[in-house]
Amino acid sequence: MAGVVLAVVMFVCSLIGSKRISLKEAVFGEPTNPEDVRTDYDDYEIFVRVRLPRIILAAIVGAALACSGVVFQALLRNPLADPYILGISSGARLGVTIAVISGLNWTLWGRSPIAVFAFAGALGTVWLVWFVGRLTGKFHVTGLLLAGVVINAFFSAVIMFLTSIAKAEQVHATIFWLMGNMTEEDFLVLWIGAGCVVGGIMVLFYISPQLNALSFGEDDARSMGVNTARTRTMAFGVAAAITAIAVSLSGLIGFVGLVIPHGVRLVFGPDHRQLLPLSSIVGAIFLVVADTVARIIVAPAQLPVGVVTAIVGGPFFLVLLVKYSRKVSWLK
Amino acid sequence: MSGIIEVENLSFGYIPQSTILKDISFEVTPGTSLAIAGPNGAGKSTLLNLLCGTLVPKSGTIRIDAAPVESYSTEALAGKVAVVRQEFVPVFGFSVIETVLMARTPYYGPMGFESKADKKIVAEALEMTDTIQFASRPLGSLSGGERQRVFIARALAQDTAILLLDEPTSFLDLKHQVGIYDLLKAAQLERDKTIVTVTHDINLAAQYCDETLLLGADSNYDIGKTKDVFSPEQIEKVFGVRTFVGRVGQEKFFIPLGKFAKDSGQTGNKPEGSQQK
Repeated sequence: MAGVVLAVVMFVCSLIGSKRISLKEAVFGEPTNPEDVRTDYDDYEIFVRVRLPRIILAAIVGAALACSGVVFQALLRNPLADPYILGISSGARLGVTIAVISGLNWTLWGRSPIAVFAFAGALGTVWLVWFVGRLTGKFHVTGLLLAGVVINAFFSAVIMFLTSIAKAEQVHATIFWLMGNMTEEDFLVLWIGAGCVVGGIMVLFYISPQLNALSFGEDDARSMGVNTARTRTMAFGVAAAITAIAVSLSGLIGFVGLVIPHGVRLVFGPDHRQLLPLSSIVGAIFLVVADTVARIIVAPAQLPVGVVTAIVGGPFFLVLLVKYSRKVSWLK
Repeated sequence: MSGIIEVENLSFGYIPQSTILKDISFEVTPGTSLAIAGPNGAGKSTLLNLLCGTLVPKSGTIRIDAAPVESYSTEALAGKVAVVRQEFVPVFGFSVIETVLMARTPYYGPMGFESKADKKIVAEALEMTDTIQFASRPLGSLSGGERQRVFIARALAQDTAILLLDEPTSFLDLKHQVGIYDLLKAAQLERDKTIVTVTHDINLAAQYCDETLLLGADSNYDIGKTKDVFSPEQIEKVFGVRTFVGRVGQEKFFIPLGKFAKDSGQTGNKPEGSQQK
């Protein structure tokens, strides 16, 4: 059901934009004869090369962020957790800052290395937080959260130091990248990203009953027959990986990972077997819509999508929070 | 030996230098109830955590159904032993039925959903604990006594032979205390469960438990029929407090009396006159 809504939203949004395109042209306007040099294939070009990749990208990133938001909230048993809580954001920022400031101008498979640096920075930091958290004893939620906060602060300081010695345009490039942007990616990158994210979400769905039990604490989950160590490591690793993919594809888009899980939970209840897939789909829809707004609201210029998610998402979430206090239960 | 739980020369300490449980041996006969009583810090909850495999003994062995605890996988152990811990309410508002259904997690199908058999077991557990009328309410909206029944329902839904409980009646009023013990007794008698309860309430333990393990703060312990273990001398020695001892029918009861208690002079066993001081 929700999947159909996502498909419809993606389709409608792909037709909306600063340039009106005709559906017929877009779908059937593919040049059949390469030597035919008519110039009115614009609609097809815009649809396939510009809009479609961007909408697919928004859907992937939205799903990844919302899904890993659910997982981090469950693992840390903390409603304030979001995908960035354990240092992914500062790690990615550090990676990007280093990439920009060191003036790297080589390319990797025809792409700027910034995304690669962001990905490596994000995953490296999460690993570091996880490692430090482990040293504080057997998986201590408080230890992990504190390690995350401190490493975030430390990396922020390093980033501030680097920015203070950097040139203005480099700083601007870094900030712009990090604000959260949907840019047109080529299809190969998109498919790899989509494959990883969808695969990750499927793994997380597979362990969602165990996440339910883990919400009651480690000991309770174990006495209910859940292998907590394996579940925790899997959930943590996969959620961190798909977040890092999302961050390296689109920068730091806030709010989706915090608000979508809560919104879905408020309306549909906390059972992860339902919460996880629904949040992924709602997150995808939300980001596709937000990005469409970002594309058209100040056209021909474009807003960073992170701005839209916070401006639209904040009030919307508050309304949900006031209106629902768990009225729907699906098990009845 | 014929115990469903067999503990042999068990020792445990959280840090290497000290032991809080020293050389404990006992066994629990299937279908009986055992109370673990003793003062704070004597290691009651520690012992419970050892029995369910959360903690690992420093030395000695614990056997469940004749096999050492550590030889079970997490899932297999959850099929033998269910645990009701001191209350923990999760941050997210799971409903009663969702909570109880979680007991079936290891038995879910490949898509992560419960079978008809799971639903039947859960329905029975809800019925037995009398929690079915608020099955769809979130846990947070229940009173302490109701919530405790839900956690017992979840343990029952695990469908295990052994039930371990950590102070199931703390924070409950008289009616709910008695209600919980009646429920546990029913599970023992009707379902043939073996029940081990950590408790502070020696009077309720005396009324409901077949045997008692009395742990002292100095690693001494005493195990036997509840009425033999709870003697006035033992209680005074182990808890370090003088009590008024009375008798209702078969079992004794104890009222602790401190220095400034109104009846502080009444300690001993006056109603029977046998141990008058």
